[in-house]
Amino acid sequence: MFRSRSWFGAAWGRPKNPHSLEHLKYLYNVLSRNQTVSEHNRGLLVETLRSIAEILIWGDQNDSSVFDFFLEKNMLSFFLRIMRQRSGGSSYVCVQLLQTLNILFENIRNETSLYYLLSNNHVNSIIVHKFDFSDEEVMAYYISFLKTLSLKLNPHTIHFFYNEHTNDFPLYTEAIKFFNHPESMVRIAVRTLTLNVYKVEDASMLAFIRDRTAAPYFSNIVWFIGKHIHELDACVRNDADHQSQNRLSDLVAEHLDHLHYLNDILLLKITDLNQVLTDHLLHKLLIPLYIYSLSSIRRQSEVTMETATQNLARVLNKSLSSFEQQESANGKVSSVVSLFLLSQVFLIISHSPLIRYLAWIILRTERSTFDQGLDKLSEHYEIFKRKFELTECEQSSQLEIESNASSSGSKENLLEEPKNVTDEEKEKLASTPTESTNISEKPFLETVYNSLDCTDNDYAALFALCLLYALANNKGVLPDLLELVLKPRMSPSKSVGRDIKYSYNTHLVEKLLHIVILSCQPSCRVRLVTLELALKLLLQLVTCDGQNVMSDLHKTSIEAARTQSTALLRNFYKSEEIFLDMFEHEYCDMSKGPLNVEWLCMDSAILLPPTGTPMTGIDFTKRLPCGEVERARRAIRVFFLVRDAVLTLNGEIETQLPLTNPQSCVQIDTALDLSIARYNSDLIACTVVWKDGQKIRRFLVIDIMQLILVEPDTKKLGWGVAKLVGFLQDIEVSGDKDDSRCLHITIHRPLSSGSTSRIPLLSAKFVFDDNIRCMAAKQRLTKGAFTHTGKTGAGSGSGAGCNVIKFGLAHTVRSGVMPSRLFVSPDQNSINRWPGREAACRFQG
Amino acid sequence: MSYAYLFKYIIIGDTGVGKSCLLLQFTDKRFQPVHDLTIGVEFGARMITIDGKQIKLQIWDTAGQEAFRSITRSYYRGAAGALLVYDITRRETFNHLTTWLEDARQHSNSNMVIMLIGNKSDLESRREVKKEEGEAFAREHGLVFMETSAKTAANVEEAFINTAREIYEKIQEGVFDINNEANGIKIGPQHSPTNPSLPGTGGQGGSQGGGCC
Repeated sequence: MFRSRSWFGAAWGRPKNPHSLEHLKYLYNVLSRNQTVSEHNRGLLVETLRSIAEILIWGDQNDSSVFDFFLEKNMLSFFLRIMRQRSGGSSYVCVQLLQTLNILFENIRNETSLYYLLSNNHVNSIIVHKFDFSDEEVMAYYISFLKTLSLKLNPHTIHFFYNEHTNDFPLYTEAIKFFNHPESMVRIAVRTLTLNVYKVEDASMLAFIRDRTAAPYFSNIVWFIGKHIHELDACVRNDADHQSQNRLSDLVAEHLDHLHYLNDILLLKITDLNQVLTDHLLHKLLIPLYIYSLSSIRRQSEVTMETATQNLARVLNKSLSSFEQQESANGKVSSVVSLFLLSQVFLIISHSPLIRYLAWIILRTERSTFDQGLDKLSEHYEIFKRKFELTECEQSSQLEIESNASSSGSKENLLEEPKNVTDEEKEKLASTPTESTNISEKPFLETVYNSLDCTDNDYAALFALCLLYALANNKGVLPDLLELVLKPRMSPSKSVGRDIKYSYNTHLVEKLLHIVILSCQPSCRVRLVTLELALKLLLQLVTCDGQNVMSDLHKTSIEAARTQSTALLRNFYKSEEIFLDMFEHEYCDMSKGPLNVEWLCMDSAILLPPTGTPMTGIDFTKRLPCGEVERARRAIRVFFLVRDAVLTLNGEIETQLPLTNPQSCVQIDTALDLSIARYNSDLIACTVVWKDGQKIRRFLVIDIMQLILVEPDTKKLGWGVAKLVGFLQDIEVSGDKDDSRCLHITIHRPLSSGSTSRIPLLSAKFVFDDNIRCMAAKQRLTKGAFTHTGKTGAGSGSGAGCNVIKFGLAHTVRSGVMPSRLFVSPDQNSINRWPGREAACRFQG
Repeated sequence: MSYAYLFKYIIIGDTGVGKSCLLLQFTDKRFQPVHDLTIGVEFGARMITIDGKQIKLQIWDTAGQEAFRSITRSYYRGAAGALLVYDITRRETFNHLTTWLEDARQHSNSNMVIMLIGNKSDLESRREVKKEEGEAFAREHGLVFMETSAKTAANVEEAFINTAREIYEKIQEGVFDINNEANGIKIGPQHSPTNPSLPGTGGQGGSQGGGCC
């Protein structure tokens, strides 16, 4: 192949080896001779461009001379020339061109090669080229190309894209033009690119972004989020019958995407950029739309908001035709939507300057301030911040702060504060009154509190709880703000050595207790998720340093709720046949994990008015129960939730649940000492015959809770190894018409195991030595469960063994274990008075 | 070239498992796999035929964006199919599957079809993960499984097409809401039967392996 040292001397014919310098020379010649795209050479050009990508990457990995040739011949300029031609079918060629570039930039490992490729500004010319973006394919390849480039950005390469002298950054400015493209993948690519750009540490580039692009880009984003939220609100308003769940779930997911994107930007901690973004978010979206929607009565301040909207329109230089009409008709969204969206904000965004201000507005703003409009709001916030800093400094150095106060007198004047702050006055300032007396003076907090009322339903209450929970758990919120509102205050007494006094938000605690008490009433309209969240928040409100600081009055209230939940539950174990199975199943289901509020707020289903029908596909805990079985399940869960909360408040740990302690059950392959009474009394020899004819000789052991098939242990005399175990309540047994020595036994998998498969553990014929043994086995398995009633059980494995009771039900043997202490007060703790037994007896009869 | 449906795929898995190579191998067969060349790409599209219908696949690689939560979230949500790839010669890439799957299940729409791919099946001598293990994982999590090699192109075609077939079946069953583009499925532009395809655009692309249609 080696013919000449001159590039031009290369073979005109196609070289055999596609991966060689010779081949690139050949391709170069093809390009040179086909500089004009026509119908005839399009195919050839596409294949040439493709081959160039292949050989360049091969060269990058194997032979550096290939790249040298490419650069020396300035082959990128051919690319430009080709794409600038209008001639037919160019999108076909353009797609290949873009793909070649993608391959090039993605696969090049050699840093120097990359620099050379970028050095002659051709890439920027390609970026600004106006491709036919209406072609879906071109658009996708183009945006992928830009994204690929953004992944190559670093403090060195940034200068190839951002030109400090011309103040030009086409990669970024071209990309953000597509930020609201209808195609989701394009939007995602743009977002990826922006984040990749922001994270490059280059001061002048970031200054460019801030000065030239941040305001329009961010205000556009903010405007579209606002528009989006009105769509979401309309969707919620018009869909009381759960018809457009899909649409709603998209809108909610989209809002979450926005918030996560904004949070990702904020997390990069680029101070200047964050300031602009925070400012836009607060004053053009979060305050005028989210927060103001919380106050239900139209106020003077709405005028301000309308002005804000108009300002926004002016800033965006957009005609707000339909949007504006909507806005002026009703600038707000429903308070339910606003509570939901604010919860998401507090759950996702943690940037403290933004979060702090927002939290302050919700928790502290008074009606008078609110009526004065946005400007006053921020002024008051400044005062608050100053006060906070003041107390902070005071703690560190008293003297310093005093000298500061006198020196910065002019500022103090501005804030209308006395020049010389006395200790007493400072104390007053620090302890802003937050007691219930003036709640009505705080319009936003008032709405949140009022939403907690569940008398009719818990629709809004759930969101109010979410918001309060999110506020209380956001790391960006000042602890100072939360004190006495969402967490207890600890006030050390003046004299040393005395008890520390705790105080908490009694008003809110009472509201929450009311939800809990209401939940324990029959046929109430509080969903399980609302109860769980209310309890979760309640615990936070009254727990300080791991200690329960609840007042006696409130303790009595929650105890009363617990009694009530027990009473509610008792109604059901009388009537539900499979009560114990359900009881265990629900416990198992609930112990899978506590409520995740962030996940809860991702579920659009909760935005629609609470429903009772399972047809909507809404999770059981997020809707009202439907039918008796679900009401029983609900009662069981209420019982568990309240019980758990009370235990936690009392600092106790659960010792009685679950009823079946897996540790005390016999496991497969455990060796058992068959000589001890527990097993010996029930030992019956039998042959197990499977459907496929397979036969195995085993010993049948019927324990208090389990059926165990045992094989004699070859190593230890008198011992056996458990080969199969099943719970008695999971067993179905029936006799054989033709053979009195036989029983047909089916062992189901435990309901509580969580496995969805309902294939039985075992379904086989058991052949006993004679009909008497067979009868004995059957008795043990059916009525047998009953004879165990009241027997003290080692089964629970805890000290409270006497609580274990078994009972059999109906024709199939459904038995279970029930610690009576959970349900029955000590004086009633007698089996005979246990209503479940009567029911069982009736069934047996 | 017109199509009946467009399916959007994403490829996920640890770095270095060969995601972008699989993508290129599938979308552009003209790149012959050779041993002294590792080459991949982050985006590709190709037309396939299922049940006599033209279906366009758009495949987006998500590599290098894991640092941003917002990006991962949206990618999952916008896809109808996902190829979850591990490297059979590196045990840890198999061990990370659970995390990937959790992420996918949390963010994606519940109908998204996930295919598990054990890549680099050509490197039998360096195998660290048995085929049976991959199968077991797939069975346990309800995924379709296949071992592929981007180097020899073995099963690459099948992996992408089987996934498409499953999505197509779900559409036939009415599981997917095809009018909702957020699901990663798009109905093709209304093509009238009298409209002869624009000269060249379709035909050539098809004959060349469809790398550019």
